Amino acid sequence: MALSKRIIKETQRLAEDAVPGISAVPHDDNLRYFDVTIDGPSQSPYEGGVFKAELFLPDDYPMTPPKIRFLTRIYHPNIDRLGRICLDVLKSNWSPALQIRTILLSIQALLGAPNPDDPLANDVAQAWKQDEQAAIATAREWTEKHAKP
Amino acid sequence: MNLPRSKGCSLTPAGEKSLSYGRPIVRPARMVDDEAPLKSASAAHQNLRQLVRLIQCPYCSKPFTAPAHLPCGHTICRDCLPSPRPRANISYPNTPDRLLGIVCPQCGAEHAAAECCLDVTLAKSMELIRLQVAEFRASSIEDTPIRLVEILEPDDNSAAGEKDRVHHVGHDRVLYGGRLLATYTLAEMGELRCSSEVEYSSVLDAPDHYPHEYENLDISLLGSIQEAVQDEMSCRVCYNMMLEPTTTACGHTFCRRCLIRVMDHSNICPLCRRDLHMPASLQNKPSNRHLASLLDLLCPDLVTQRLAAIKLEDQPGDDALNTPLFICTLALPSMPTFLHVFEPRYRLMMRRCMGGNRKFGMIMYNRTGAPQGDLGATQFMEYGTLLEIVNLELLRDGRSFVETRGVGRFKVQDHGVLDGYIVASINSVEDISTAEEQDSEQEERTEAQRLAATFESQNPGTPLPFRVALDQLSTQQLLDFCMGFVVEMRRQSAPWLSQKIVQVYGEPPAADAALFPYWFACVLPIAEEEKYRLLQITTVRERLKIVKTWIERIQNQRQ
Ligand SMILES: [Zn+2]
Ligand SMILES: [Zn+2]
Ligand SMILES: [Zn+2]
Ligand SMILES: [Zn+2]
Repeated sequence: MALSKRIIKETQRLAEDAVPGISAVPHDDNLRYFDVTIDGPSQSPYEGGVFKAELFLPDDYPMTPPKIRFLTRIYHPNIDRLGRICLDVLKSNWSPALQIRTILLSIQALLGAPNPDDPLANDVAQAWKQDEQAAIATAREWTEKHAKP
Repeated sequence: MNLPRSKGCSLTPAGEKSLSYGRPIVRPARMVDDEAPLKSASAAHQNLRQLVRLIQCPYCSKPFTAPAHLPCGHTICRDCLPSPRPRANISYPNTPDRLLGIVCPQCGAEHAAAECCLDVTLAKSMELIRLQVAEFRASSIEDTPIRLVEILEPDDNSAAGEKDRVHHVGHDRVLYGGRLLATYTLAEMGELRCSSEVEYSSVLDAPDHYPHEYENLDISLLGSIQEAVQDEMSCRVCYNMMLEPTTTACGHTFCRRCLIRVMDHSNICPLCRRDLHMPASLQNKPSNRHLASLLDLLCPDLVTQRLAAIKLEDQPGDDALNTPLFICTLALPSMPTFLHVFEPRYRLMMRRCMGGNRKFGMIMYNRTGAPQGDLGATQFMEYGTLLEIVNLELLRDGRSFVETRGVGRFKVQDHGVLDGYIVASINSVEDISTAEEQDSEQEERTEAQRLAATFESQNPGTPLPFRVALDQLSTQQLLDFCMGFVVEMRRQSAPWLSQKIVQVYGEPPAADAALFPYWFACVLPIAEEEKYRLLQITTVRERLKIVKTWIERIQNQRQ
């Protein structure tokens, strides 16, 4: 299936005008499939970590949102064990005017501002609410263990 | 109407000296028609006046400030709109901004104030143009005077009985920086009506300049304008130059087709998330003519390119996967199928079908996950029915009711995905020829009669085996048997043969043995999986036999 002008342009802009701390590189054999890395935001328990993710543009993109999943394990109340992300713009609040770049920025922002009240990983959210300091320490540990090159 | 006007792009070669300073005497500009056209000249360059006109508000004639796009299609500075007044006899919807009306000063149409929003794309483009002009003006050469004479539109100023319209001259100025800048400047000064033409001529005491130097000024400014607005005029959904730009009530503009696709999924604006408040088909919603003209003028190549690309997109062409598949239910040849289309992907599919040959494949879900021949365990069955759209009723919210009729059967050869729905290459499934049909009837019955004779001689008084008894019957007898059952059931007022159902599917095709099984399957309340077998059978006789086994099962159950 031919790639839309939009996907081509988005890919070009991602390469030419990269966002600091974020990369998205399409696979050679499937230009709808991207290897993504997101640097943990500074002053967050994820600081210093480089988190790998996979991003896939479904056939009716941009009418439907990209599908994205963390591959690196991460301790976060809005990300579950399978790496799935609970973020409104990836679901009901998606708009075709959003793009890969804005979505990745939103995810990076989510790392900096976990929201245990809208959890995907219930146990993590629970831990976060009960003892935030301990949860942050665990998140830092995981970052050290899984997200350091 | 034959005005001796110069609309072309030639400038009189300079060099002739003026006689006085106060009011320079000028020579009329030469008509462009008899000169070789400038090869590199774009549409915009050939029509600079039209470009400036599109930058001007048709009401106040100044370069636009905060242009508003009205539902009637007119674009006017927001400040030029009359103040809103209460609308008479309006009660629904009754939000304050809908109860106030604004009358378009161009055409007199009254619109809800809520729908007279800033045209965001045009406003930003106008601002970018203003900045480009300012930058260009700051760097442009002082000694490039040209004289601009405003030629008023004849009707604007027609004194009674006057014939000679050449004298309808408006403002007259010597300005600098090429024709484009000078014309823009004249508009900015409020000395050029939107409807007026401009006559350009050289100033006699101008320093020596070759015409192409003037032209280069125009080309340079035009180039920077084109570059500046290009991004603003591309659609935020498809990233292409807007095609048939269509502006929402919130003032955001998208390609018409992109907006329709957006509305397959939701009815909020992709940019500001406000409710779009319009029918999903965009019926009766005109495109933004002003933006469309500006696009045509500024980037004609991109517009043409886009049109060509769209043509390809809409027609899968000889790409093998050219039949869209609707995975939903069982449909049968020659029979009507009624669909309620609400899924976004199928809305798009229906639209494309309507724009093409109005045909698509209907295919059942593979509920058991059974392997489908070479296809493997696909989510759908391998046999389906090609449907033709007879009627499509589009609801305001974008859903639709579709009436179709089966036009043939097919088997899926290969399949892929297009914008969320399945597309396939198909082979049509046809009945064997009448000659073959007759041969097989003859062969089958001869053999059955032989078997029956043997069986009876060996087991006198015992009923024949089921298969032998069935194969002995002629095709006509099979049909008669089935029709007999229908007649009997109608006599007993079976609910599945009610008048209502017969109205939808028609009277039973009593004389058409090929068609009868399809009709019968449509009305008979049994599982779709059973009826599905009919799609694979390529002889009339076999289909009737299947129907006969259904009937016998029902008869046995009733006993
Ligand atoms: Zn105005
Ligand atoms: Zn109007
Ligand atoms: Zn578009
Ligand atoms: Zn909007």
